[in-house]
Formats: sequence, C-alpha cells, structure tokens
Amino acid sequence: MWLMALFTFREAWRKKVAFIAGALTLAFLILYGIGLHFISGGSMVHTANPTASAASYYAMMQAITLFVLGIYLASFLVAGLAILAAVGSIAGEIENGSLYTLAVRPLSRRDLLLGKFLGLAAMLVLYAAIFFLALAGLVYWQTGLVIPGMLPALGLFILIPLVLLAVTMLGTTRLSTLGNGVLAFALYAIAVVGGMMEQIGALMENTTATIYTGVVTSLILPADAIYRRLVATVVDLMPAGNGQDIPHFVNPQSMLGPFGSQSTPSDWMLLYTLVYIVILLAAAVYVFNRRDV
Amino acid sequence: MAVIEARNLTKVYGRQVACREICLSVEKGQIFGLLGPNGAGKSTLVKMLVGLVYPTAGEALVAGYAPQDIRGRRQVGFLPENFRLHGWLKGQELLTFHAQLAGLDGRAASRRAAEVLELVGLAGEGRKLVANYSKGMQQRLGLAAALVGDPRVVFLDEPTSALDPLGRRQVREILLDLKEAGKTVFLNSHLLSEVEQVCDRVAIINRGTVVASGRLAELQSGPATVAIRLAGLTGELEAELRRRYPSLQLEGDRLTLALGGREEIADLVARLVAGGCRIYEVTPGHSSLEDIFVHLVQEGEQACG
Repeated sequence: MWLMALFTFREAWRKKVAFIAGALTLAFLILYGIGLHFISGGSMVHTANPTASAASYYAMMQAITLFVLGIYLASFLVAGLAILAAVGSIAGEIENGSLYTLAVRPLSRRDLLLGKFLGLAAMLVLYAAIFFLALAGLVYWQTGLVIPGMLPALGLFILIPLVLLAVTMLGTTRLSTLGNGVLAFALYAIAVVGGMMEQIGALMENTTATIYTGVVTSLILPADAIYRRLVATVVDLMPAGNGQDIPHFVNPQSMLGPFGSQSTPSDWMLLYTLVYIVILLAAAVYVFNRRDV
Repeated sequence: MAVIEARNLTKVYGRQVACREICLSVEKGQIFGLLGPNGAGKSTLVKMLVGLVYPTAGEALVAGYAPQDIRGRRQVGFLPENFRLHGWLKGQELLTFHAQLAGLDGRAASRRAAEVLELVGLAGEGRKLVANYSKGMQQRLGLAAALVGDPRVVFLDEPTSALDPLGRRQVREILLDLKEAGKTVFLNSHLLSEVEQVCDRVAIINRGTVVASGRLAELQSGPATVAIRLAGLTGELEAELRRRYPSLQLEGDRLTLALGGREEIADLVARLVAGGCRIYEVTPGHSSLEDIFVHLVQEGEQACG
C-alpha cells in the first residue's frame, strides 16, 4: 500500500499536477495580495493587542473578513484539484489499460485503492497547507493580524479536499471518468449552495426550511460544513469589543454575511465528517473488490 | 501436474455469453496456445485466469491458487493485450517499481529490472521516459514487466502484435528459454504460425466455447488431404468415390481429395487397387494449424446460422 502511495504521489509530482496547480495558486495569491493591499489601505492591526484601539479593532475585523473570503475562494481551488486528481484514478486507468499490469501484482485491490488515496491525500494536504499558510502570511504582512486559531483552522482546511477525495475515489471505482467528474462537481455545488442557504436562513432568523436544507446537504457532502466550522473557529476567537469605544454587540459574523458561520456545525458534524471519509473509502474498497477490471 | 486449470469457466455480460463452460488444463513447463477469431472470448478467458474478471460460474486455479489469491499472484506474470504503461516513468524505474510490487527489495529490484531490460533487447534504453518509447519498445517493456518478478506462470496476450519480424523471433526465443527454465507459458495469439512454432498444446475457442484442444500433432491428425497419381480409374469407380468424397478432383492421372483422417488413406488405396487401378504415388497432405483453425471456425459459423 505504501509503495502504491509513494508511486501515486510521485505521479502527481512528475505529471506536473502540483506545478500547474502551484502556478495557478501563485497567480491567485498575487491577485489576492494586491486586493488585500488596496482594500486594507494601510490600516494595521495592533498585533500584540488587537483591541488596543477602535482603529485596530476595526482593522482586525476587516482583515478577518478578507481572510475568510480568501479561504472561501481557496476552498474552491483545493476542492477542484481534489476532484480532478482523483476523478480517473481507477476508471481512467481501466479505460486506458494502465491498471491491468498493476492489478495482477501481489497487491490486494484494497491496498491498491488505499495506496492511491494516500498518495493523492499527501499531495492535497501539502498543497492545502501551503495555500492556507500563504493566505495567512499575506494577511499578516498586509494587516499585521495573526489569524486566531490558526492550527485548528489549518486542520479543517486540509479536511475539505480529503472529503472530496473520498467521494471521488468511491465514484471512480464504479463510474466512468466523465460521469464521476460530473457527479463530484454536482455534489460539491449542492453542498455549497445548501451551505449558503443555511447561512442566509440563519441571518434572516428563518430557522426552519433553509437551515434544514443546509443540514441535509452537509450530510450528503460535508465540505461546506467544514468551511463553516473553520470560519467559526477563526472568528469566534476574536476578542469582543471593550464596551467603551468598541461596542460589545459588534458581531464579526454578521460582517461576513453568507460567507460567515451564523449557523455553526457542531462537533458531531466533525465526527460525522471523519466517519463519512472512512465509510466512503470502505465502500470504495467494497465496490472495487467486486468489479471486473 | 496442472499449473493452470479452468473448470467450467463461464462469463456472461448481460445477455452476451463471453465464455461458456471452458475447461482446460496446462501442465508445468508447457507453452500453451489459445487461438480464436476476434471476439471469441480469448481475452476474457485470460482476464479470468489472472483475476481481473470474475467468472459468472466455474472456477480456476493458477499455480495452485484462485486467481485473486495474493500467494498465487506472486508466481504469475501477465502481459495484457491493450495495455498502456505509465509514460511518466523511465523504463528502468517502471520495471524496478513492478519488481518491488512483486516482492523484491530496492537493490534486488533494480538489478532484476536491468536484467529483464537486457533480456527483451532494451539494454541501454532504461533511462528514457516510457512515453518516448516506440510501440514496439513498449511491447518489449510490457513483456519485461511480465517477467520481472521471475514468475512460474506467464500469461501473454498477443505479445508480438506490435513487433517486427526480428522482434517476433526474439520473443519466440524468450518463450522457448522460459520453457527450458521450467516455466509455464499461456500464449494468446492471432499469429498461427507463431503458435505452431512454439506451443506444445493449443486450444481453439470460438463463440466462447472451446471447439478443439490438444497437442498440435493430435489436432493435425484430424481432417487430411491426399494426392494420388494413378492409372486405370474407371468411370464407375470415379462416380462411387465422388459420392463418398465430394471434394474429389481428377486432373490427368492425379487424383486429390479430402478425408476425415489420415487413417482413411489405407482404405482408399485398397479400394482403388481392388477396382483395378495402378498406384504410382501417394502423397498425404499436411494439415496446417491454419487449415484446422479455419475449418473449425467455419464449421462453428455454419452451425450457428
């Protein structure tokens, strides 16, 4: 399995998947950095004590908002890379005949599939971590803000491509490359739209239909729920107003609107996500074990 | 001792029967040829034997294990028909990876990769990217990948389809060397002359069913032709023979006809002599594998419709 994982990681590296993704990401970061520079307009957060003054506090809120928007857009790129990297990892190799020579080796199909998953997961974790830290670094450079709850937020950001990878790996054991790609992107779109509806519902204090829609789509694909939890992790750690020149009632979540986390996924949702990945991988192994190659 | 054994192997895709109750057995150290027209079910049968395709019914044993059993797979090498190797690797790297998958550790895998590269005539090409190999070179590399784990049983599905005559000869020599080393080879090929040159036993498959199998000599002892130079053939005797042998042709003193088997030649000669003919020369016709193949396949087509 580890041999297969290393092979898959090297494949992603040699095929310049990481290079192409890296180049696009760099372009994104440059654009983002320019935007950050002009939007922040030089207003800096007092790094040691962000609530030291009203100016520092509002600069912090602005910086957090820009960081969250950056993460929102970055999650699209990371999710897209996860889907594209895995979409044909089994089906595509059967279609082009490159799986035959591997599938007859003394290697169980479980190890073959999990090896591919681990290799791709390693590439995606590395990519997502660099992307996240680059965004956080840009925000610090331009605004002086150290992102609160950086490590748990990083862990959550890394989880987003892993969920999509698990879904796509299950799809590729049964569907054609094209069919799997369409399904994975459709599920991701449903999750994003459902999550957006949930947040709008929460903002409008409509706690019934729209929120439940978001909960259901999160159960189908918990990618957006992880993003919401990430936002809550960062924003909820922000210090409150001091009640003097900064009002207590200032709520950073309301500034983020539908990109925020008014309705925050619970710890159970995080547990569900981990179980979800394991179950999908087990299902992928089950399906792959029973199909003709 | 049978190294490859299929018992009533059947594969059905929806309403289409790809293989129907196939039984065959290949002994250790044999080169076994599987023949059949396109779409006869040859590749499906090979894929069932190497564990890529699950049979709908029946069972198979390869090197004493079920095809999906990891223990058996350690002893099996496979060159698929329509395959693609990972083009982003160099030839040497690809073979080293396959050797590692087959259970060799790093250095031994690298050594073995160099050995098989030389064996298939690619020594000196190992540092090139596989994507830059010609089709023939890729086929040789595929053969090297099949052999890199030093398997006891080798399945080769059209191993020479992309090779030039020199390459084909080289593969034939490799097959004979494998046999010499006690390996068992299961060869699936369209090239009947190739099968005829190297195989100990063959099976002919048509419409998913084995229509003939056995040693080449046994198969060739089936339908035969004979040419006889004679004198004194009467019109009455000729008419009698035409009724019995519709293929009879008489040109001058030369009579040719097709028989059910070589053993009928003696009876025919006795009848001619009894009918007053003088026999000057009897030449039994050689029934090539191609003749047998065409005869059996055409017979199958006529039976079906």
